[in-house]
Amino acid sequence: MGGTVDNMTDFSAPTMTEGIAQVVAVEGNMAWLIPESGSSCGGCSSAAACGSKGIGTISSRLEARRFQLVNDAGLRIGERVVVGINENAVLRASVTAYVIPLATLLGAGMLAQSVAGSDMVTMAAMLAGLVLGLWLARVRAGRLMAKGELAPRFLRRASMGETCNS
Amino acid sequence: MKEYALLIISAALVNNVILARFLGLCSFMGVTTRIDTAVGMGMATTFVITVSSMADWAVGAYLLEPYNLWYLRTVTFIMVIAAAVQFTELTVKKVSPPLFQMLGIYLPLITTNCAVLGVAILLVEARMTFIEATLFGFASSVGYSLVMVMFAGLRERLALADIPRLFAGPPIGFIVASLLALAFMGFSGMTS
Repeated sequence: MGGTVDNMTDFSAPTMTEGIAQVVAVEGNMAWLIPESGSSCGGCSSAAACGSKGIGTISSRLEARRFQLVNDAGLRIGERVVVGINENAVLRASVTAYVIPLATLLGAGMLAQSVAGSDMVTMAAMLAGLVLGLWLARVRAGRLMAKGELAPRFLRRASMGETCNS
Repeated sequence: MKEYALLIISAALVNNVILARFLGLCSFMGVTTRIDTAVGMGMATTFVITVSSMADWAVGAYLLEPYNLWYLRTVTFIMVIAAAVQFTELTVKKVSPPLFQMLGIYLPLITTNCAVLGVAILLVEARMTFIEATLFGFASSVGYSLVMVMFAGLRERLALADIPRLFAGPPIGFIVASLLALAFMGFSGMTS
C-alpha cells in the first residue's frame, strides 16, 4: 500500500520566508544581527563580509538593517544563522509602506482634479494625500509591530556553504 | 473618466513597460526568483515611479520648458529619480524602522532601473497633463509589478520541474519571458 501519513506535519502553520544573517554583537540575552545581502547580485556572503565603509555602500546599508533577536540558542559573534519571517509579512509590510500612501495620494489627486481641474491644486492635494497616507502607514506599522508580525525568528544555525540563494 | 481608464489599461497591459517596451529587464530577471521578493520590489518600484513621474512632470513643465532646457532632461530626470528614491528610503525609515529593515533592500535597485527613466521620458514626450502623467506612471508601474509577480510564480514552478541541464537557470527563464511577452501581445489593439 502507499506511503505513510506524516502525523507530525502541521499544515495550518504559516510558511516562513528564510534568510541568512550574521551575528555582529551579543548583549546579555539579546543578539544583534545583520542580514546578508541576497538580492540580484547573488554574492551574498561576500557582500556581507565587505570591509569597506561609507555612505551608500552595501556594508553601510546592511548595518542600517541591523535587528535584534532573543539569544536563547547561545549564539556567538560571527555565527551565521537562518532566520525566518511569516510569508505574508512581506506582502503586509509592502501594502502598509507603499499601497496606503499611494492610494491616498491618487484618491486626493483624482478628487481635486474633478473638483478644481487645476494642475497646481491637484499637486497640492496629492501632497496632502501623501502626508495623510504616510501617517496611516505609520499607525498600521505600529499595530503590525505590536502583533509581532514584522519581527524575524531564529530557525537554525546556517550550515557550511549555505547561502541565501541555495 | 473613460480616457483615464483607457490610459491605465494602455500603460499597464497594452504597452507593458517590461514585455512591450523591454525596460527594467535587469530587475525582471534578477529579483523574480521568489514571489515575495518580486512583490516587495514591485510595490517599491510602483511607489517610486509614481512619485518620480509627478516630480519629473513638474520639473519639465516649470523648469525645463520655460527656460528652453530640454537638452538637460536626461540628466535632470536621473537626479530627480535618485532624489525620489532617497526620499522614499528616508520616509519609510522614519515612518517605521522595522518596515525599512524588511523592505529597504529593494530601494537602491530602483535608482538604476531604466524603467523609471523610460516612463519619465515617455510622459513628457507625450505632453500629458499632470493628472495624466501621474496615472500613466502609476499604471506603468502596476503593469511592471504584475509581470514581475507572474514571472516569479512561473520561475518558482520551473525550479521544481525537470529542466534539461543546458537550459537550467537563465536560458529557460529567457524562453519563458519571451513566451510571456508573446502572450501580452494579445492585448495590442485593445485601446486603438
